Order: sequence, then structure tokens, then C-alpha cells
Amino acid sequence: MEVGEKRRAGGERSSQLSALQEQLVWSLLGSGLSKELLIQAMGELERERALAGAERMDRADGESSEEGDMDYPPPIFRELERLPPEEAARQRAEVDQLLQEDPWHVAKMIKTYMQQHNLPQREVVESTGLNQSHLSQHLNKGTPMKNQKRAALYSWYVKKQAEISQQFTNASRGVVSGEESVDDVRKGRRNRFKWGPASQQILFQAYERQKNPSKEEREGLVEECNRAECLQRGVSPSQLAGLGSNLVTEVRVYNWFANRRKEEAFRHKLALDVPYSSQSAPLTGQTLPSSTSLVLKYSQPVVCESLGTVRSSSGEDRGRLASPVHLEPSHTLLDTHHHKPASGGGSLPPVSTLTSLHGASGSSAAPPGLIMASLPSVMSLGDSSLFIGLTSSQPQTVINNVGGGFTTLQPISFQQQLHTSPQKPIVQQLQSHIGPSSFMATMTQLPCHMYSKADLNSYPSSGLLSQAMVIADSNSIGTLTNLTAVRQILTSDPEDHAETPIEEESLHLQPTSPEPVSSGSLDIYPQTQTNETHPSHLLSSPPGDIDPYIPTQMISTAQ
Amino acid sequence: MELKYIFLMRTEREHLLPMMRNAQWVEVVGRDAIYKEFLFKDFNQAFGFMSRVALQAEKMDHHPEWFNVYNKVQITLSTHECGGLSQRDITLATFIDQASVL
Repeated sequence: MEVGEKRRAGGERSSQLSALQEQLVWSLLGSGLSKELLIQAMGELERERALAGAERMDRADGESSEEGDMDYPPPIFRELERLPPEEAARQRAEVDQLLQEDPWHVAKMIKTYMQQHNLPQREVVESTGLNQSHLSQHLNKGTPMKNQKRAALYSWYVKKQAEISQQFTNASRGVVSGEESVDDVRKGRRNRFKWGPASQQILFQAYERQKNPSKEEREGLVEECNRAECLQRGVSPSQLAGLGSNLVTEVRVYNWFANRRKEEAFRHKLALDVPYSSQSAPLTGQTLPSSTSLVLKYSQPVVCESLGTVRSSSGEDRGRLASPVHLEPSHTLLDTHHHKPASGGGSLPPVSTLTSLHGASGSSAAPPGLIMASLPSVMSLGDSSLFIGLTSSQPQTVINNVGGGFTTLQPISFQQQLHTSPQKPIVQQLQSHIGPSSFMATMTQLPCHMYSKADLNSYPSSGLLSQAMVIADSNSIGTLTNLTAVRQILTSDPEDHAETPIEEESLHLQPTSPEPVSSGSLDIYPQTQTNETHPSHLLSSPPGDIDPYIPTQMISTAQ
Repeated sequence: MELKYIFLMRTEREHLLPMMRNAQWVEVVGRDAIYKEFLFKDFNQAFGFMSRVALQAEKMDHHPEWFNVYNKVQITLSTHECGGLSQRDITLATFIDQASVL
């Protein structure tokens, strides 16, 4: 009945249409579309559909396929938001303009835009068909890109800008753009979420306050992060949907905190593991007390002498170091000894170990001899320095190692070197705390026994040697002269796993840190026991200079 | 366009709402919106009407809340941005009335 009515109303058009189709056509016509325009649009639509389908198969070009998809309904509905033909023309014009500009400038613009909106490169690659490595190099380093490829990139960029601004405006209206779903299907459902720098800052601050936030706190953080992300993108904080796949949710915040906690536990675990393996010198600790006193006395004068002779920049430091050396010899030795086992852990987790090192160093005052020896070690790792003192032989080696700066000293005169070098390195270590990593490296390697040439070379941190080396490298020389610091380092030296048994003889100068420092100092003092071990350490010491010296020294000292 | 998002002022309301009421647009209880029900002869007519309204809504960038079952169409008009009635609601309501008698 109504069909008949429609027919009458619609005239000839209704002949082959269903009632609903008639209604729809009538609606179209009623919306301001003229017959000619409708027929034209239909033709266009069909062409675009075919083109889009072909292009999609050819190269998955985002622009064309998207346009085709978008044009799908649109041609009929001229009033549709994007007015595809106009929008497409506008975008093409913009792409052309970008192509005229300096490619590097445009690349920088695109790169900052991607960073701002946390867009993964993968997305660009998927929708443009460019090679990801090429794209990365073009954006980061300005590697040239052919015009056609640049055109594809710029087309993606222009389209993405339109998309995101639409996302944001739709967000305020609570509408999800249709193109979104098309993209989703193509990308396999959204990009992987990525934390933005602004959000991460907020989270780290919150993590410091409390490692385990409750759900309410998490929700608060969600709000804060999303606000920050919106601000970073230059949009009003209320338009969350514009963030798209990088929207922060409670689950993501929860996961972030869980991962940080796991990370910390892992680092702690590593810290515990390292000292355990390096504890080789615990035995010597017992002998230390007795020998330390002797050693200390001996070392003191030697130290003083060496101080004078040492020319290294840390000269004054050394002098200062020497004095504290005299203090608390015996107990410091013991302390340092104890510390050594404890400190072992920190080789890997740089930050945590470093801090622990610092703390440890203050704990015990290594005997003068130790201080001297451990100086090098101390330098690298606060704690390790202590060990250097304890491990008579090692400190010497350490000293030698320290050498970046110390190597120069070594040639001077072995004995002097030994004396001085430990001082310097230790001082340096103390002062500079150069890098947590450097310290760490040295600390871990304290157990002199463990060290072997190869080890030291490959792993700079290997206990004292590495420490010494590190210190030298890091130019800690200047930083030296904290006698107190040195002392602390020597005593605390937790990292210094190298608790090489501090032989009595060797003790006197050898800082707890087994290797690095001791090598040098060992030579000076008759270290029967350590000698054997030290040579190896010495060898391991990084600076090549040490090696020649060490063996010779060792030989002499062996006697 | 932003003007249309502005909440319908009290003075305007006093002028416009009576007109709406005359056209059988009812004010919804509990929210600032207007509502009307349309009955058509059959589904095709109803849907044809909805299509016309849809095209216009797209053109205006202002969409109705509506429900359709066979030949019945229930429409509620309100503006999300201002949380109530705005000029666009009135305009669309007028158009809807025109489309429904076509």
C-alpha cells in the first residue's frame, strides 16, 4: 500500500526499488541532493570503492584505502563530517607543500609529533609500506628518502593529524570516529600502549613515596598521568579519547608498579649474589688484627714516604690519606674484613650497590696499610677500598690497575708506586665515587683470588683492580683526599668481595680490596702469600702498564 | 557553531518551549530535554523518516537520541555539550516535525 503510494510520490524511480529503498532514496533527495548529483556521486563512489580495494591489496596504503572506506558511505551523504573529496584534496595539497620543504625539517617535525603523541614507528610502517630501518634513519639521522616515499610518509602524517584532532574533538562529544575502527582492524586492534615521559615522571615520584599504592591511589595516578599526557600533546585534559592506545588506565598503573617492584627485588637479589661468589678472603681476616698493627706501622712510614714521592695529582690527597691510615689499624682491618663478605653483592646493580658502597665505606677505618692499599680500590668502590687494605696482595694490584692515572706512577718506582698508587687510587675513589658503575665494577671483583688477567681486562669492575682502573679512568684523582672517606671506604668496603686473605705481611699495605690496589702495594711489602696471587691480579689489571711492572714487582717482593 | 552549543536561555525558553509543546514535544522529567513519539504506517515509512532525520542531523552535527520499533519512533533531543537544551535542539525538532509529515 505504502509502496504504491511511494511509487506515486516517487514517480519513475520506484519501479525496481523495494519500499525501504524508495524511502531511502526519497530521504536522500529530500536532504538536498539533486538527481544529477546523486547519480554522479554514485558513480564516484563505485570507482573509489574499486580503487580502494585494489590499492589495499596492492600496498596497504593507508591513505587510499582509508579514503576509499571513508568515501564508501559518504558520497551519498554529502554532509558527512569529513566531506572526503574536499578533505582529501586538502590533505594532498598539504602533502605537496611538505614535499617542497626541506626534508630534514619535515622529518624533525614528524619525529617530534610522534614523540608527543607516543606513536610507534610500527604504525607508520604498516600504513605506508616504508622500511622501518629506513624510516628510522630518515627521521633520526636525516638519511635521504626518495620523493615518492616521502610523499607516502607525509600523507600518513597529514592523515594522522586529522585523525587525532578528530579523536580529540569527538572525545569531547563522546563519539568514536568510524575511521578508528577501520584502523583498528588493519592494525590488529590498536597500538601497543607506551608510557610517555610525563607519566613516567609522575609514577616514579609516586613510587618513591610508596611502592604499593592502593586502588584509590592508582586511580588518582591515572587521572594525573592522563592529564599530563594531554597537556604534553597540547590538548585540554578532558579529551581523553584522543590519547587512543596510549590512554593510561588503572590496570596499566598497577602493572607498572608491579614491574618496578619486581625490578627492585631482582636488583637486590643480584646484589646478594655477587658478594657470595667473591668471598674468598675471609680466612685472612683473622690474621689481620695481628698483622695489621705491624703492617700499619710499616705502612705508615712507607705511606708517608710514598706520599711525598707520589706525584700524582692527588698528591695532597695522599698525604692526607696517609695520616688517617695510621688510625685504627687493627680493628679496621677486622672490620674491613667483615665488610668484605658483606659487600660482595653489589657488582651488578649499579645504583643500589653504589649507594651501599658509600655507606659501607664509612663503617670501618682500615688500617693505614690497608688504606693505602685500598685506596685504589676505595676509589672505585667505597667499600672495595677496604678490601684492598685487607688483601695485602691485592691492593697492590689494585694500585697498579688504578692506573689510568696510576699507571703513570707505577713506572716511577715500584715501591714508590706501590705506596703511592694505593693512596692515590684510594683517594680518588673516595672522592670521586665516580660512577656507580665503575665502582660497582671494581667492587665486585675484589676477591683477588678470583681475578685473573682476563677477568680484569674484560670486566673492569673486577674488584680492586678494576676499581683502580676505573678510578683512574674516571679521573678521580682530583677527587681524592678525603682521608675520612678513604678510611670509610676501606673499612666498609662491602663490595670488596675480594676479601683476599690478608696475609700478615701483605696486610700492611694491602687494602682489603684484593686486587686492584694491592698489586702495587704488595711489591713494597714482602708479601709472601699474596705475591703469588697478586701477580695474577696484577696481570688482570686493565692498564697494560701494570702488567710489566707487576710481574717484576712481584718477583722482587716475593723474596 | 559554538553558539548553538549554548544552553537555551531562560528568556528564549519561555518563548520557544510553548511552541514545542504545541507541537507535542514534551519536556522530559529529570533532565533538560524534549521528547516526542511518532507513529507511521509501517516500518519503511518510519525508517525513511529516520533516514531523513539522520541526514539532517549529520549536516547539523547534532544527533538525536531515538528508539525505533517497527513503525514507532521515539525521539529525545538534548545537547551533550551544555547538558541541556540548546538552539540546535529546537532547530532539529522543527525539522523532524517537517520530515514526519512528508
